Amino acid sequence: MKRAGIVAVTSMVGFAGVLSFHAKAAPLGFGVRVVAPGAGQTGPTTTTAPSPATSAPSAASSQARTATGAAVNYNYGVLSVSATVQGTKLTNVTIASIDDAGNFRSESIDQQAVPVLEQEALQAQSANIQGVSGASYTSAGFEDSLQSALTQLGFR
Amino acid sequence: MKQLRQPGASPEVQSWHLHKREEVMGTVVTLDTYGEGTKPPREVHVRAARARAVLQRADAVFSTWKEHSPLNQFRRGEITRDEVLPEIREVLQACERAKFISDGYFDPWALPGGVDPTGYVKGWAAQRAAEMLYGPGVGGAVVNAAGDIATCGSPAPGRPFQLGVADPSDRRRIACVVEISGAIATSGTSERGNHLVNPKSGQWEARAASASVTGPDLGLADALATALAVAGEEGLAFVEATPAYEGLVIGYDGSWHATPGFPFHPLGNPSGRAHHQPAEANHEH
Repeated sequence: MKRAGIVAVTSMVGFAGVLSFHAKAAPLGFGVRVVAPGAGQTGPTTTTAPSPATSAPSAASSQARTATGAAVNYNYGVLSVSATVQGTKLTNVTIASIDDAGNFRSESIDQQAVPVLEQEALQAQSANIQGVSGASYTSAGFEDSLQSALTQLGFR
Repeated sequence: MKQLRQPGASPEVQSWHLHKREEVMGTVVTLDTYGEGTKPPREVHVRAARARAVLQRADAVFSTWKEHSPLNQFRRGEITRDEVLPEIREVLQACERAKFISDGYFDPWALPGGVDPTGYVKGWAAQRAAEMLYGPGVGGAVVNAAGDIATCGSPAPGRPFQLGVADPSDRRRIACVVEISGAIATSGTSERGNHLVNPKSGQWEARAASASVTGPDLGLADALATALAVAGEEGLAFVEATPAYEGLVIGYDGSWHATPGFPFHPLGNPSGRAHHQPAEANHEH
């Protein structure tokens, strides 16, 4: 559950984020790791390692809660991600805003890669994979903003 | 909620995961390191920094965009092949080998604009970065260079890396999951438009929607995946003939062809992708 310690999170310029995690991390696509409940676990668990990040509200609530992550740079513009959690489960991930400043190359990427990433984040949560071969591009900015949204929700 | 912990992994065992990324070679490369304990040992951070330096150096040496990169100096004929940096010589030799193995379907010398080993370099650099990450105190390391992935070790004891392969017809989905110790590269036309040149015809064309190659070295896997995407199904023969390398071709019509040893995850795919179960893949050879 809350065994992940986020050492450093989003960076507005560049991709300098460093995420450090402990056990029970549920992998999301593209290296994003978000802690989710281990099978059979109920209720809060003890934090087994000191976390440099601040503690967050309980994720045990069953109400759906949504937060929008920080706007971050990606290869071809700026995007922000919105995440919805219900209880301890990540139920939806969408792009809240995307601005590529009319970059031609970016347009086709936005249309393809962004929906990819939304789905990958959710799929990978259950597929338990460490990466996807054959997909690329906006993943870094996406994961930064997603992590920021999830941190706001105390979903770590 | 599906089970997130792998069976057999003791819940008492602490593990850490260190995630870094590097914007380099025109894309974003992610570097992930896994190990046991409460946090990564200090040396792991040092190795991560070195691994990022490996990528930066590869970019500086092999960039075809930076006018004064050592590779461009060679391409313009300002320095001879005998005078190039050792890593350029190494890469050119590896490219010659890949050209031979792939029956000429991978040919950096046939590209417009002069020799361009980019199709090998990205995988080669990611492989070296992964090997740099992997060392004492590290259980496993993964370097993902825009969908071409090098791994060393394993994410947890007794558990191989599991990686998805993007579905070329709908990249929102994962076509299949592979279980590997080593590398996987995927090449195709869907992600970046029709960017592959058939060295035999000089035309921009690819016979496969997507081609994946697994094997011990990401440099060669990357080159062979590029060749396989151009060659299509018939290219599986040269992959099959290369020891320790396996290939998967997904056609524009959605057909699947794979070498017999392609490391499909035994349980197949994420839910909802039953029609892409590996059992239905058309195994050839």
